[in-house]
Amino acid sequence: MFFRPATSRHPRLNLLKSVVLFKDLSMHELGVVDNLLHERRYLADEVIFDEGEEGQGLFVVLSGRVKTTRQGSTRGVLLEFGPGSFFGEVALLDQSVRSAQARAVEDTLIVSLFRAEFYSLLQTNSAIASRISFQLARALAARLRQVIVQTDQHHGSA
Amino acid sequence: MNRALASGPIVWFGIIVTTCLLLLVFQTALWLVMPVLLAIVCYYIMSPCVNLAMSKGLTRAHAVFIVTVLFCIFLGMVGWIVTPKISEAFNGWKDKQDAYVQDGEKIIRGAQGTLSKYLFFIHPPAPQLPPPAVNRRSSTPVVPVVPSDDIKDSVAKSLNEHSSDIALELLHWIPSLLLVPYLTYFFLLDGPRFKRFLVQAIPNAFFEKTLYLLYRIEDQMRRYFQGLLALTALDTICLGAGLWSLGINAPFLLATVAAVLAWLPYLGSIMGCVMVVLVAAHDVPDNPFLPYWAVGLFILVRLLDDFVFLPLTVGRSLRMHPLVTVLMILLGGAVAGISGLLLVMPVLGVVMVAGQIIGELVTDERILARHRHARELSRLRARADLYAER
Repeated sequence: MFFRPATSRHPRLNLLKSVVLFKDLSMHELGVVDNLLHERRYLADEVIFDEGEEGQGLFVVLSGRVKTTRQGSTRGVLLEFGPGSFFGEVALLDQSVRSAQARAVEDTLIVSLFRAEFYSLLQTNSAIASRISFQLARALAARLRQVIVQTDQHHGSA
Repeated sequence: MNRALASGPIVWFGIIVTTCLLLLVFQTALWLVMPVLLAIVCYYIMSPCVNLAMSKGLTRAHAVFIVTVLFCIFLGMVGWIVTPKISEAFNGWKDKQDAYVQDGEKIIRGAQGTLSKYLFFIHPPAPQLPPPAVNRRSSTPVVPVVPSDDIKDSVAKSLNEHSSDIALELLHWIPSLLLVPYLTYFFLLDGPRFKRFLVQAIPNAFFEKTLYLLYRIEDQMRRYFQGLLALTALDTICLGAGLWSLGINAPFLLATVAAVLAWLPYLGSIMGCVMVVLVAAHDVPDNPFLPYWAVGLFILVRLLDDFVFLPLTVGRSLRMHPLVTVLMILLGGAVAGISGLLLVMPVLGVVMVAGQIIGELVTDERILARHRHARELSRLRARADLYAER
């Protein structure tokens, strides 16, 4: 029993390991993070959060799909998130309001990392929190690049 | 969100009524409430140490175990050092109480005499008669009957009777107090897990708000208890330094007892002041002005406490209007006596945050609509194949 790899003992940790945000963490460190996560199940078409609502943390999709939409936007669906992706990450950094509505496309299993708990992780396990923060910064940079490319394309077509 | 409505008069009425009801319930289960409260205080003292140990790479279980053991060893050592002194003081108490009562009487007589010189409506004290003469034939003392001796006897008698009651009451509390380290250990170990367990029961629509509510309540409690400990430390240092400069024996022990007594609003401060004045009068009988200096020092420390330390520590943590604070303390005392005075502020702090957030939740039509929508989806799912054609 003691020689079994940690991965076989915790199938949920395997799921978390596949998330970009947590990919640099060891199984022991994932266990620490797992203790801070809140698991939620949403039915297809159920609203996860609304645009304009005060955000408290980020959500990671473990199974199912989530779409984000925005009032007044000409595009129907802004983004769609599948297993392993995360959304609502800005709320982890500040107390800003949600910029879009998130809704489950199909039955979805989600884990949430609450801002206050992430701050406590920064104090108690700064090594883990800094690796998560680094991945978060990379993801935000990638999204910023994507927006710049889209804006350029928009101006080019105009 | 309708914040104005959420914190409106109905919500505040609910907060006050809930606080009073909780105080009444807590009064009946004080044997459990007090250890839980002390365990929460210990939790907030020890949780930074647990966090520090975890930051060094220890698991939560190991960190909690090590910190709890070290804390118990520390308490044991303090008990080992302090207990003999306390028992010595308690043994000597019965011998000394007459002397303390006499000194207290002297202060009152002195104050009455001084005031009667300046204020016409205060009569000078009755002249004190010499000590009782001894009848040589019967060798029994002839005790003159004067009012002051009656008062002294009744106070001494009452102290004699109550000292055994107090000792019995303290013995009753020992089993409850033994719960404190046990509760603290599990608060530290399973606190986060218990919070996640609570949150699991919350419907999705209220999830984020509830998490925020729990965070706010925990933050409120942590800041209140840490503020109270900081206030006690500041009071102890100021009062102890003052008593030391006046030349009173065991200044920091007296200051600590007075600062802890001050946890009991109003009554505790008066008890602390009387204690310090009696000790000052007894320890330095040659200096008749010393008790007055002690009173002056006590008033100075109370003023510092109320106008400087309290707003910086506890007051800031609760963010409460001073008028509401005073009214709620009076109401707590009226509803649940001394336990009400002691518990009203932390209970009000928690109920206030919970009330405001629950007020926001139940008046937020959008969240309620989302909850109804989720329930409808769940109901549709449950009956999806009931009417299917075969």
